[in-house]
Amino acid sequence: MFVENLERGFYRLVKHDRCLLLVNFDVDAICACKILQLLFKYDNMMYTLVPVQGVQDMVRAFEENCEEVKNVIFINCGGTLDLVELLQPAESVIFYILDSHRPYDLCNIYSEDQVRILGKPDEDDEIPEYNDVFRDDDSSDENETDEESASDRSQTKRRRLNEEDIVKRAGRREWSEKRATILFNYTQYSYYGKSSAMIIFEMAWSMTKDNLDMIWWAIIGSTEQAILGKVESRLSVLEEGFLQAHVSRLTHKKGAEVDKQQQQQSAVKITYDKDLLLVLYRHWTVEDSLRHSVPTAVSLRLWSLRGEQRLKGLLADMGLPLAQSKQRFSAMDLALRQEFKQMVEKLAGKYKVDTIIGTSFTLQYGYKFKYCASDIVYAMLALIESSSKTKLPQGCFLDALDCLSRTKKDILESGIEKAKLMLKTVFKTAQTILQLKEIRNTGSFLYIIIPEGSAGNFIFAHPYPLMMLAQFTLKAYVDSSKNRRAPELPLVASAVYNAEERICIMIGIPPVCEDQPRSLFGRAFEQAAKNTNSYIDADYFDSTIIRLKIEERPKFLDALASLLA
Amino acid sequence: MENNGDVQMTAENDDQEEEEVTAQSVLLAIEEAWLNEKFAPEILPHRSDLVDCMLQQITHMEENMKRLDKEDLRLMIHRMELDRIKYVITNYLRARLEKIEKYTIHILSQEATRSSEECYLTVAELQFAKEFLTNIEMLFKTIALQHMPGNFQTFEVDTLTVKPNLQTYVFLRANDRINGIIIPGSMDEEIDLEPGSQHIIQYSAVADLVKSGAVKLI
Amino acid sequence: MYGRKGFKLISELDLYSDILPFNVGCMIEALIKEVLQEMQSLYDANVANSNAIRNDNNMALLPSVQLRHIALKRNKRCILAYIYNRMRKLKELRWELGSILPPEINTNLINAEVQWFQSYNKSLAKYMRSLGEDHGFNLTTNMVPPKTLYVEVKCVEDFGKLELDDGQVILLKKNTYHLLPRSVCEPLIRQGILEHKKYVSMEFPSYEQETQTIQLRSIKSDD
Repeated sequence: MFVENLERGFYRLVKHDRCLLLVNFDVDAICACKILQLLFKYDNMMYTLVPVQGVQDMVRAFEENCEEVKNVIFINCGGTLDLVELLQPAESVIFYILDSHRPYDLCNIYSEDQVRILGKPDEDDEIPEYNDVFRDDDSSDENETDEESASDRSQTKRRRLNEEDIVKRAGRREWSEKRATILFNYTQYSYYGKSSAMIIFEMAWSMTKDNLDMIWWAIIGSTEQAILGKVESRLSVLEEGFLQAHVSRLTHKKGAEVDKQQQQQSAVKITYDKDLLLVLYRHWTVEDSLRHSVPTAVSLRLWSLRGEQRLKGLLADMGLPLAQSKQRFSAMDLALRQEFKQMVEKLAGKYKVDTIIGTSFTLQYGYKFKYCASDIVYAMLALIESSSKTKLPQGCFLDALDCLSRTKKDILESGIEKAKLMLKTVFKTAQTILQLKEIRNTGSFLYIIIPEGSAGNFIFAHPYPLMMLAQFTLKAYVDSSKNRRAPELPLVASAVYNAEERICIMIGIPPVCEDQPRSLFGRAFEQAAKNTNSYIDADYFDSTIIRLKIEERPKFLDALASLLA
Repeated sequence: MENNGDVQMTAENDDQEEEEVTAQSVLLAIEEAWLNEKFAPEILPHRSDLVDCMLQQITHMEENMKRLDKEDLRLMIHRMELDRIKYVITNYLRARLEKIEKYTIHILSQEATRSSEECYLTVAELQFAKEFLTNIEMLFKTIALQHMPGNFQTFEVDTLTVKPNLQTYVFLRANDRINGIIIPGSMDEEIDLEPGSQHIIQYSAVADLVKSGAVKLI
Repeated sequence: MYGRKGFKLISELDLYSDILPFNVGCMIEALIKEVLQEMQSLYDANVANSNAIRNDNNMALLPSVQLRHIALKRNKRCILAYIYNRMRKLKELRWELGSILPPEINTNLINAEVQWFQSYNKSLAKYMRSLGEDHGFNLTTNMVPPKTLYVEVKCVEDFGKLELDDGQVILLKKNTYHLLPRSVCEPLIRQGILEHKKYVSMEFPSYEQETQTIQLRSIKSDD
């Protein structure tokens, strides 16, 4: 069931007992969790936080910690799974789901009491009616016994069938057919809903417990959704307005309180301003930032040799000396730095990169701490995916969590460095793929397979870098392709996940033309696996990410092609 | 820790009037004892009366708190208060133990000269000190002393004694009016302390006043 | 030169803040032996000389006897100081880690020290039991002034199950995050199993916002 009033239907209920927080590995989830942690701390509520990377992880974490826990809160995980079936909780346990993955599992939606989904159902969710999907208990019982007996003693039974039964059966058949279509329509697309961090922030606000830290985390959560293209841009814009209103309210409130202490007021500031949407440009060189930002890289076709010249041309047009453009932005001449924004703005039209002019939130804290929301998102993404043989993924998760505290600047800085490396690898790999024209077209979708073995490619074993690569390649392909159908084609990307066990990871992203980023790959992967009889490991909470055996990949892609044709 | 009165009162609704007052004053007294002990270089006469009384209060408050609703705001405040009181007591007792461990021989020899009424250590502390000394002697003997030649095997109490530095300077606030403290090191310089006034002075000059409660160290 | 070995012993103390191995045929034990040997030979020489003084009234030997005597005293002092300071470190560990020493410390101790530690434990326990009315009063908790009832902690080592005062059981696994009662966490933070996180509010930024990690002086990794 849905809980619309979070304070009454969630917060006050969990306040009494210790909670178990299961949090998915994504930026939005971490932000939501951070806000919740702070609220819990204010109210002295004990909790245990366990990062979960996939379904198996979640089941294990639940089993390990379920002892004496009455409330389990799932953040960006579990909403699309039938949790009661999966976890077999004791009756007293209540699940609270805060998940931006869609569609929700119907059993979660129609659970009477045990499963509670935080938030309103989205307007365009089109959740099937209860009666269309579920039958009341007695009839389903009957159904079962019917089927049983039908198989067991079909002959005797059949003789005894009277007309009433026949009508009933026909009705039932019709109902199940209808049910199948409804279910198919409902689960066809996987997509994302509102940012969880936003939902929790709104709750904090309604309880008047919000503060500047919380709004900042909510901003980061929703920025991540925008950067990774999880929600349509129209919604992001709306949210930005909403967030901005909150920022000015909180800043104002604070200003009034500590008017006398001017110093304190200048200590922490969130501003919402016109800005360039170039990745990490404040912490990188102008040249690198231009090269690794998707809009400029695509419009200037930076993967080609000519592209490189175009980039040089742009820099020359801006009047930015080459030596300066290769300096860290913070070390550039002050005059150039101040003019940089205008210089880019002036030329944006000429180079068809209007999309890089936008707005962003910036947090300033003291003199040395100035980051815009996207900087932090990239840093966190890089941190989340920085697991290695010596560092457990859970440790990376906690690093990303720490990265949100203003006092952990060193972690944030290391995240930004990692992000640069990640973006460079993404760009280089995309460049190779585009130059060698390795994008295959099956007619119904495009696919790329990241070659094994080249240095740095191990990062594509992680979903987010792979997703960024896929999005970049798709945009570049669409922009440069003569194929008029290109904008309508979705893309599948696959990379090695574990070279020793011969397992690869595969993700599917929706086509460029799609206004709403809904992906049909979740279902399609499932179906293709069924058709080819191959085993896929859909452990990720995002159903458009799967793992499968490398040897089964060609067969699987063939099946996918025939399925989507 | 100013809000103690309230806490006590609410925690002991069902107790008699008198106890409420004493609980408060005991806490104040123990806080003073704690600070004195913390800042004085030597060990001070024990205040086990206060400690015992306060520990009783703690058990009592804990019992009372069990009856409160988990959601009650008062519970939080009481628990916080309790934690603070516990900290004061443990810190007080720890400070004493530290001194005992450091100046064991000195304290024991001083203690031997005092009668049972005016002794500085509690029975348990005294026992602890004695055991501590025996243990050290044991340790020294087994590792080193017994391997040493001839008369070097003895555990020379005199050379091993560590004495507190009574010439150290302390901050203090006077409780009562005190006349004619002679400043150590000078021939005839005297000062008078006004109640509530604050001073820095050599500890040896005011040691007796600290013990009598006429001044408190801050 | 007399007394040099003894001095080396003392400088060992200064060089390492950890408790160094004592028993396994290592430097320290050898060093102490050497000092003791030196003492023995000094002593023997002195006995011989003082006999000579007494019998032959050879007063010329007196200064060297005195010098040796001082060297002997100094050596004794060095050895005892060394033992005493090791004991002090052990004592600190008792307050930091509780009555059971981690194996990496235990292996560095010689028998007499282990025995001392046990007797110290016993005395301390006896003393703490004598406080209060019936259960005694634990002095090893509440080591730092309490600021909040609950603290945010990150679990940095697998610990297993932890029972709270009210009977709830919590699984402490590496890389999980908890908000727990301060009193329960305090010893675990000191043992380095939990890491204390401090939140600095935006409203009241302070200049000491370094996350206060009450960290145990690491036992192993100092070298």
